[in-house]
Amino acid sequence: MTAPASAHPILTLSNVVAGYGKMTILNGTSFSVPRGSITTVIGPNGAGKSTVFKTIFGLLNAREGSVTFDGRDVTNRPPRDLLEAGICYVPQGRNIFPELSVRHNIELGTVAAGRGLTDLPARIEAALDRFPILRKKADQQASTLSGGQQKQLEIVRGLLLDPKLILIDEPSIGLSPMMVAETFQILLEQRDKGVSVLMIEQNARSALAMSDYGLVLELGQTRMFDDAPAILADPRVGQLFLGGSLAEKSEAA
Amino acid sequence: MDQFLQLIVAGLATGAIYALAAIGFTLVWQTSQTINFAQGEFVMLPAILVLTAAHVGLPMWLAFIVGSAAFILLFGFGFKRFLVEPMQRHGVLPLAIATMALSVLIKEAAKNGFSAEAQHFPSLVPDGSVSFLGAAVSARDIAIFVVAVAAILGLQAFITRTRTGRTMQATAQNPTVARILGVPVERMILLTFLINAALALIASYLISPVYLAKFSNGETIGLAAFIAAIVGGFNQIRGALAGGFLIGLIDNLAAAYVSSAYRAAVPLVVLVVVILVKPEGLLGRKEERTV
Repeated sequence: MTAPASAHPILTLSNVVAGYGKMTILNGTSFSVPRGSITTVIGPNGAGKSTVFKTIFGLLNAREGSVTFDGRDVTNRPPRDLLEAGICYVPQGRNIFPELSVRHNIELGTVAAGRGLTDLPARIEAALDRFPILRKKADQQASTLSGGQQKQLEIVRGLLLDPKLILIDEPSIGLSPMMVAETFQILLEQRDKGVSVLMIEQNARSALAMSDYGLVLELGQTRMFDDAPAILADPRVGQLFLGGSLAEKSEAA
Repeated sequence: MDQFLQLIVAGLATGAIYALAAIGFTLVWQTSQTINFAQGEFVMLPAILVLTAAHVGLPMWLAFIVGSAAFILLFGFGFKRFLVEPMQRHGVLPLAIATMALSVLIKEAAKNGFSAEAQHFPSLVPDGSVSFLGAAVSARDIAIFVVAVAAILGLQAFITRTRTGRTMQATAQNPTVARILGVPVERMILLTFLINAALALIASYLISPVYLAKFSNGETIGLAAFIAAIVGGFNQIRGALAGGFLIGLIDNLAAAYVSSAYRAAVPLVVLVVVILVKPEGLLGRKEERTV
């Protein structure tokens, strides 16, 4: 692969095979996520983008291959272990507890830390301070939040335990352009603090524009990995999203 | 007027029992999609177990402890581990049918293993009546109401005011996300089964002194609790509470003012009306499912 040199990647997948039942989605997926950067995964529908996240986070069993996080083998570990290791996962869609208050929704982000976390109230207050709207609605049911506010809640909840890596799947779906910009801003802030971000985005153009690296996934395999501007400028990427197959093109080239 | 007041108090007492059973019913539905058709038998059985323990010679206080422990172990932990878990992967309906089989099994076991006759069960409250708003009402009814409501308030406080309780709620509302946040989902589900068993146990000790301990007691209670849960809104604790009181009151008032022969039919009429008019239940929320 023509990956840019990254001496100590935060996350490495090597030859991961996974799927649902008899269906194999990931056919030996391999890639490395550079530390302290934002990497955006793009690819056509069914390429296995969300499946990669589920496999990394232990929600789906890898039949073959390995996942290495921060130098440790974490293949097929349950979510709780991965949270403790420093990964957080924000899945696609709505992921809140609608009938719990906003504050209690956020509080649940610290479950994995157990009783050991002594500064829990302070962390929750800090999270609420970061987003005035969450502070304002702290004691209301989370179902009263708008879609964008719910996404903010999910991200804030994921950040409570100071993760080293954020896996975030399609954060922009259903959000207004302003909310998308705000959400991206949070991710950039985290990146600047040294946190690594691996993001799936349908909205490839604007996501790559704010990313450091781009990764193109197709048919469960890594087709391209490069600096985000290079991916963005590559004519094959446009074709890929217009229905062409990257494999054929690169073979022809 | 006196009679009316007595009926109201009796209705609230019966309703509190139904509410205990209905809340447990709702809890296990929420966390594990288990429709427990053996819920009535769960309320019948603890009293029988206590009497069985007393029958083999244990002093009454010890019989209570042994019977309670055996019940929680078998029908809190065991029920979840050996019936719900293996059946769950086959779907909601096979699991529901398995609980029906369990209800028949418990009933027949109680009948053959203990007694086919109704047995006296010791009451913790003396018989008699107290004056309430000028009417003489049963002290036992008041005691049943107070104990059941205290248990429900205690449960409510646990669920809303403790972190474990809120984690349990989160598991019920969205198990997938709970797992992603590292919630020990299986342990939380087990907790709801233990709570369900404890509520059934309380209901059993409250109602058995009144109706006597008999293997067939579960039939009425199970049906009433099921109707109460649906009328109140299947996915709400406060719905099950309201539904329980409503059915208890209607049950008692119908027996007195309509016809005691048709008393069992009236809650069913209420059920049909609620399903037609407000299918999500009086306090329920509409559930959306993506297909």
